[in-house]
Amino acid sequence: MRAAAARTSGHGPIGWVAGVSLALIVAVPFVFIVLQAIFPELGRGSFAKPLQHLPKTLADPALIRLAGHTLLIGLGVVAGCTLIGVPLAVARALFRVPGALVWDVAFLVPFMIPPYIATLGWIMTMQPRGYLQQLTGINLGPLLFSVPGMILIMTLNLFPVVYFAVSRTIEAVGTRYADVGRVFGARPARAFWRITLPLATPGLAASLLLVFALAIEEYGTPAALGTRFGFEVLVTGIETRISDWPIDLPGAAILSLLLVGLSLVAFLIQRRILSGRNFDTVGGKPQAKDKRALGPWAVPVGLAFALVALLATGLPLAAILATALSKTISGGLKPSNMGLQNFEEVLFNAGGALQALGNSLSLGIGTALVAGALGALTAYAVVKGRGRGRLGLEVLAMLPSALPGVVVAVGMILAWNQPWLPLTPYNTAFILLIAYCCILLPQPVRYATAAFQQIGDNLEAAARVAGARPLTVFRRIMLPLILPSLVTSMLLVFAVASRELVASLLVAPVGMMTIAGFIWRQFEQGSVGLGMTMSFIAIVLTTLIPMLLIAALRRFAGARFTGLQ
Amino acid sequence: MRAFSLALALGASLLATSAALADITVYSAGPGGLIDKLAAGYTAKTGVKVNVFQATTGKIMARIESEAANPVVDVLISASWDTATDFARRGWLVAYTSPNAEKVPAFLKNDTAVAQGISALGIAWNPASGTPKPAEWADLTKPEYKDLVTIPDPAQSGASFELTAALQAKDGWELFKGLAANGAIVAGANAEALNPVMQGAKAAVFGAVDYISLAAKAKGESIDVIFPASGTVIAPRPMMILNWSKQQDDAKKFIDYVLSDEGQKAVAATYLMPARADVKANRPLISELKILPVDAAAVYGKRDATLAEFGKVFGK
Repeated sequence: MRAAAARTSGHGPIGWVAGVSLALIVAVPFVFIVLQAIFPELGRGSFAKPLQHLPKTLADPALIRLAGHTLLIGLGVVAGCTLIGVPLAVARALFRVPGALVWDVAFLVPFMIPPYIATLGWIMTMQPRGYLQQLTGINLGPLLFSVPGMILIMTLNLFPVVYFAVSRTIEAVGTRYADVGRVFGARPARAFWRITLPLATPGLAASLLLVFALAIEEYGTPAALGTRFGFEVLVTGIETRISDWPIDLPGAAILSLLLVGLSLVAFLIQRRILSGRNFDTVGGKPQAKDKRALGPWAVPVGLAFALVALLATGLPLAAILATALSKTISGGLKPSNMGLQNFEEVLFNAGGALQALGNSLSLGIGTALVAGALGALTAYAVVKGRGRGRLGLEVLAMLPSALPGVVVAVGMILAWNQPWLPLTPYNTAFILLIAYCCILLPQPVRYATAAFQQIGDNLEAAARVAGARPLTVFRRIMLPLILPSLVTSMLLVFAVASRELVASLLVAPVGMMTIAGFIWRQFEQGSVGLGMTMSFIAIVLTTLIPMLLIAALRRFAGARFTGLQ
Repeated sequence: MRAFSLALALGASLLATSAALADITVYSAGPGGLIDKLAAGYTAKTGVKVNVFQATTGKIMARIESEAANPVVDVLISASWDTATDFARRGWLVAYTSPNAEKVPAFLKNDTAVAQGISALGIAWNPASGTPKPAEWADLTKPEYKDLVTIPDPAQSGASFELTAALQAKDGWELFKGLAANGAIVAGANAEALNPVMQGAKAAVFGAVDYISLAAKAKGESIDVIFPASGTVIAPRPMMILNWSKQQDDAKKFIDYVLSDEGQKAVAATYLMPARADVKANRPLISELKILPVDAAAVYGKRDATLAEFGKVFGK
């Protein structure tokens, strides 16, 4: 596969770099998972008894049920994200929505809230005697603890993926093509359905695929919510096999491969939708980015944005903050029960809180840089390269989004803790960096791929005619054009990496604490308030740092930087 | 490309700050504060550094299992005595009897393992829940507790499993059928079962790990722990030295330290029962509880069948 990647004519060096890095970061742990699925004794360095456990795992009646539940959640969340994300994205991209920048920031925040924490916030709000009932007397517990409730919560966590991808894509398409349609007599609605929306297909399909993959490999929400009404999915099944004595690593590996299979099918469907069509819309011609006025629709559209922002961001944040400020959980929302004790404890470094913050933020920055660079190179080699290596690269880049974090973690340990390795990142912070890069690589790859797909080949051809070498073309033409999308995805990578839970718990080097590890420890010991305080601080930091970065970029690069505008 | 070199530099600095060569490596089940305190105290006494990995017993086992080809752990502290039995059977443990273990009751130690502390299971009940105070396990099947009881998953906690097995051996499945009919839910690990009770969404945890609830109560939460007079189970937390350890002498000294006066006081401060009978604690001790008999070999021999039956009762 690597050799094939290298054959990409004219893009050789980039294909090589992407191929070797992906092989190291993604393929190695994945291969060990496959080996583990075949050889149950692999952890002990033995290839004995291949496939002996297979009948037992596959004959488990729970298997079909878990797979069915997973599919139900995945499709439900995709439908939910389409319903919420697409209309908002279209309005945002084509019209002057009142308070647009505020909504963008508000929709960014769900990325910064660990899904497990957001769900816990929802539970503490909606369960009987929760915050909602304490404040208003309404008990929505039965709605929350149900399959539609779980889909709704996960949708509110994930719809920003669709919102940002689709609004950016439609903005890039602009109104020019639709205007041409209008000139030929199409009415506005027809021009939108037949021209603008189809042209936005790459962004839409890519983001829906990502949502599907994220939803089926999500651990936090099914774990926190599903246990309350006895609903299990594949990931919780995998987690059970890995963390319940007796540990069943081969069984977990087989379930993981099933999950990968599901994602692969979704991936192939997405490719089929996109194949054979041309979505070039960035052709080097300047375009007017004028947006239209909403007119009488300004108020209802603004209200719709406000409602979604309130549900997706306001409510979980308020619940987290309320819990962080509560002296005791059982004390409820009374003024006498409010105080800053938890914040004091974190600032005075209870349980290594400050080290955990420092470690996680550094790891987040490192991961964003590595995954961003690698994602851009991979997407370039995939979209603009030639040769058979491309599909392999793309599959490799997509694989991690189908691998639950806990499986990546086990693969990492199996691969990098082999006694014969002369040098290994295992038991150093590097293993976390590699694990995060592996888990999060699909984000920059998706965003960059969608961006590259819209850049016409003629730009590159022109540069090559003018004598530019492939790397120069990449650096001087391609990279600047995709930079807004890439930076957006890197900020997401930073936010997710700095609070990644599952892999952190398992592969963290001994003695190293991360934000998620700290929070988990607090919950495990019943210190919900302290855990929520740390979550709140982490959310604020991971939101503020990217915001300041963007403000700085705007300042220095001026109007040339258009990310997240 | 600049991003790459930046990342490398950053990574190098991370590498330098973590994983400074430790003298012994301890994997410990919670509570996290306790193992940090024990590690610091040991280092202050001996000058030997301790590297700690703290997680749930399950996560620790998964890590040891996947590290088996190249293990790094010297001392393991599990929350389930079953770990000690299992690892001894695999021949992974070093035989060691600490001089400080003299006052540890015989049933809390053997050749290869000794208890750090002990937790017991009880009913964690929220007095603000508007329900009468339960006294017995069976009370939670009464209509007053309809839809208000959580049970930690016996598949996820060794102690919950032993309680399930012990109560089932005593009275059959009737009690659990009654709980299921009364709307009790099986809610993940211990913390997940306790959280809804603290806020008042539920009234009681059936078989809560006591020290977590007692610590929450000390913090001012509205939580009481009740040990039914009909009996409960205890979960001694075994400490073991792994036979691949290259620092066995330091590892033995670590065990000695945990069993020293200072170490046992730290254990008691987290509301665990200290392993040594002569160390005081601010909570009910083993002598004050009725302990149900658990024949570990027999009980764990049919673990799968028991869990399957439990799952059937609760419609899982």
